[in-house]
Amino acid sequence: MFSFGDYNTSDLLWLGEFSPRWIALLIVLGIGVLAFSYYDLRDLKRVRRWVLIALRGLVFSLAVFLLLEPALDMRQTSKVENHVAVVVDTSQTMALKTEDDRTRFERGVEALEEFGPLEQASEGEHFFDYFTYGDELDTTTRESIAAMDPMAESADLTGALHEVEQHYADKDLAGVVVITDGIDTGAIGQRTARGEEDKLDEQSRRFLESLDAPVHTLAADGDTSMRDLAISRVLHDDFAFVHNKMTVDVEIQAVGMDTKTVPVRLRRDGEELQTQNVQIHPEESTYEVTFEFVPEEIGKEVYTVDVPEYENEALYENNEHHFVLRVIRDRIRVLQVVGRPSWDQRFMRRLLKQNPNVELISFFILRTDENPQLVPQDEMSLIPFPTDELFQDELGSFDLVLFQNFNFGPYNMRRYLDNISHFVRDGGGFAMLGGDLSFASGGYAQTPIESLLPVELPTSTARSDVMDSEHFNPEVTEAGHRHPITQLAFDPEDNEQRWADLPPLRGSNIVEGATDDATVLAEHPHQTHGGEPMPVITVAERDEGRVMAVTSDSTWRWGFEHVGEGGTPRDYQSFWNSAIRWLIQDPELKLVRVDTNRDMIPPDSPLDATVRVYEPDYSPATDAEGTLTIDKSPLHDIGDGTDEAAGHYETTSFSTDHNGEWEYDGRFTEPGIYQLHVEVPSDAGTLTDENLVLVAPDVSQYRDIEPRNELLAQISEVTGGYHTVLPEFSPGQLHFNEPRHVEVHRRDVVQLWDSLVLFVLILALLGVEWTLRRRWGRL
Amino acid sequence: MNRRTFLKALLSGCALASLPAAGWALDRQHRVTIARLQLPGGNDNPRPGALRRFLQEVDKRTSIEVDTEIPSVAPRRSELFEYPFVFMNGDGAFDPLDDDAIADLRTYLLSGGFMFVDSAEGLTNGPFLESVQREMDRIFPDRSLKTIPRDHTLHETFYLIDRPVGRVDVAGNFEAIEDGDRLAVVVNANDLLGALSRDTLGNWEYDVSPGGDRQREMAFRLAINIMMYALTVNYKADQVHIPFILRRRRWRVDD
Repeated sequence: MFSFGDYNTSDLLWLGEFSPRWIALLIVLGIGVLAFSYYDLRDLKRVRRWVLIALRGLVFSLAVFLLLEPALDMRQTSKVENHVAVVVDTSQTMALKTEDDRTRFERGVEALEEFGPLEQASEGEHFFDYFTYGDELDTTTRESIAAMDPMAESADLTGALHEVEQHYADKDLAGVVVITDGIDTGAIGQRTARGEEDKLDEQSRRFLESLDAPVHTLAADGDTSMRDLAISRVLHDDFAFVHNKMTVDVEIQAVGMDTKTVPVRLRRDGEELQTQNVQIHPEESTYEVTFEFVPEEIGKEVYTVDVPEYENEALYENNEHHFVLRVIRDRIRVLQVVGRPSWDQRFMRRLLKQNPNVELISFFILRTDENPQLVPQDEMSLIPFPTDELFQDELGSFDLVLFQNFNFGPYNMRRYLDNISHFVRDGGGFAMLGGDLSFASGGYAQTPIESLLPVELPTSTARSDVMDSEHFNPEVTEAGHRHPITQLAFDPEDNEQRWADLPPLRGSNIVEGATDDATVLAEHPHQTHGGEPMPVITVAERDEGRVMAVTSDSTWRWGFEHVGEGGTPRDYQSFWNSAIRWLIQDPELKLVRVDTNRDMIPPDSPLDATVRVYEPDYSPATDAEGTLTIDKSPLHDIGDGTDEAAGHYETTSFSTDHNGEWEYDGRFTEPGIYQLHVEVPSDAGTLTDENLVLVAPDVSQYRDIEPRNELLAQISEVTGGYHTVLPEFSPGQLHFNEPRHVEVHRRDVVQLWDSLVLFVLILALLGVEWTLRRRWGRL
Repeated sequence: MNRRTFLKALLSGCALASLPAAGWALDRQHRVTIARLQLPGGNDNPRPGALRRFLQEVDKRTSIEVDTEIPSVAPRRSELFEYPFVFMNGDGAFDPLDDDAIADLRTYLLSGGFMFVDSAEGLTNGPFLESVQREMDRIFPDRSLKTIPRDHTLHETFYLIDRPVGRVDVAGNFEAIEDGDRLAVVVNANDLLGALSRDTLGNWEYDVSPGGDRQREMAFRLAINIMMYALTVNYKADQVHIPFILRRRRWRVDD
């Protein structure tokens, strides 16, 4: 026999392997037998009849009971401790002082001291695990937390709760205790707007409920003790288009502030750009300001939004916000001037029109003084050639000027040629395309345009001296195989083949070689001048600008006729699109470039900058010597008497490696704007490039420092947890899920059906039934 | 003219005629011409000489340098792609083009080629235009001929034109097939070349209907506009031209 005293739990088992269908059948059979008995014994007295039926029913029930083989599963068990996750916020805002002059974190540590007795009281039921969170969840101990400094740059409470969920995915979670100021930089905090009682959204609720455990929240600070004015959020695009309106939305948080007018200021590279006043009311905490402005220059600019510093604010680091804006070219403005309509002009215009990055202004000379005007002007759609507007008033707004088979002479344009020269030397692009009105035929010899061109023009204007009619395939030079304009394929052999496959050009303007500082990309296979092949495609730099000469008016055949030969227009498009990019000095095609790995870094962080130098043909410039000069500007107002002035920071000489590169590893300890300026002397003058990096403390955690106790209360309410604001804390209020898992120390299964007593009982009942039946006159 | 002068002139003429081809090529390589499309089983040149007149007028009135040699091209890519502008002319039905020609024409027109179809029938639904419709349906099964509104750029590329007339005025609008922002095929039922044709003595070959010098002049203007459109496409739709064109059109309406 066994003793029940050894076991503390038991279950009844049925060992007979009968399906529910069989059991139902036996029950139906039993009911049938009893019903038959009831009918069969109808002539007996009522009491006798029911006694016999009861005996038969009892026997049948006992027989079925035996058939099902009942057994008793006896177990001696004990509970397995489940886990309580104690999660402590170690973000920077936890270092802020509370009204009792202790930090939020210190209040949390004090509360943790109550967990010692709690752990002892819960021994055998719950096990306490300790974590800290900021950027991510880290395992720790209660003792270690007390020695920590809250330094994390974010407070991702949502992420921490997700990690807790994953950590205990295969374990039994009793509950979660969160010690925080409620500022959640994660999803729940972002999704739940401040105010409106910090109402949790449905997605956050579903996640919290899925934890299936109470989340107790111990708020580290009250809501009312603080005074602070903060730039909490600045919304802006990462880049802006030059000369296009840019919008910056600023969100300001004011806590504990009196009614007052606060000026919100926007500065660009330290200089004030705009100021807007915001009326602060004590009952409101969030304000929005929108700045609109137009960036004027391409490149990186540092913008600062700030508000004044008022007395007794919780901290001043959040009173300003810096960001770097990349100002890029909007669309490339191209002026296409054409001496007469032609297929070359038509396909060039089509190419330019199809390029979404190009804003094209075309002017075609449709009629000259040589064409008789047979109808009144008002029946024609012609407009005067607006030379003043194009070449005087608006010239500076263009990025590139294309003279396509255009002669300036008939349009009284000589006085504008100097403007075009200045436009290019100041950074514009200029290309002359061939034709019978171009180059020497266009009368450009000994004009300011000739000094721009990368080719020498013959002084004679006799047709045979300035035009050649031979059909030819230009031969790409060695430089041409590397230059982005003529590099149709990276592999020189492929590139050569691609050029050879293009339809021949139909004639060429005759030029007397390239200028000394020009790069010839393709040359005539037969025409020579001074023993050198005549250039066909030539480029050069002119001070800040770039120029290109293509001495043919039939490149359109590369895009159209080539299709007829089974090719594609891709090479034509690639050639001209690359030419445009090169001419407008697309930053990707500069000969010297300085790139930084980041636009904004905290002080004392490493900065990687790479200087890349290319030869004019875009091969890497090995052993190129140059200097990197770094100037530092202060982040705050220049000349306000309190901050340092802009000044030189560092100059480093360098020499590029075999890849034409040089790496600069810098580390800036002081906040400021660091301007990187690279100079590389070259035959074509000094090549330069600039970049900047903003060094500023990462105070993103300080953007929003007002405790979010209502959010914490909501989290506790949804999960059935307890919420309090420290230092008020009653550990007894913390309740946790009962452990779900048990450990079995001893087990015994007793088969109840295998008993002589039961068999004897059945036989005895049958005997009684038989005896009574006989005595009451039945067989 | 005495005998010596005559001989000098003859010799000079012979010398000029024997100038090397390169001399002509020098002048012609940048010049613009129109190719006439060959049509199987049909008359693809019902207005001989009219295309040359067309180009001569373009040369006279505009800055475009033309080559008045009119090549005749088969609808084959090897020939078509030499000339971005082909002219389809006819006065009756023609046989269906073979499948290769259909594919080549589609490639040509979608790669930037331009085709002007001019019916010499003087009918909007004659056998020639029915053949054209049949072939267009094969070349562009995915698009159809659309009526071109009167304010389309085609009507203001050089002259301001209100109605596209030719020898006749049976169709008030062009029909066209578009490729993006340009017209790839323009179909005219008004026999434009018929209005431009002269005989060898320089007389007009056909009367215009309903008639008048103005109609013939407008046909010439239309020819100029078509050439301009082939070369400049939607240039006149650029913003800079719009105020001028609107002002002039308004002036003319008000007048």
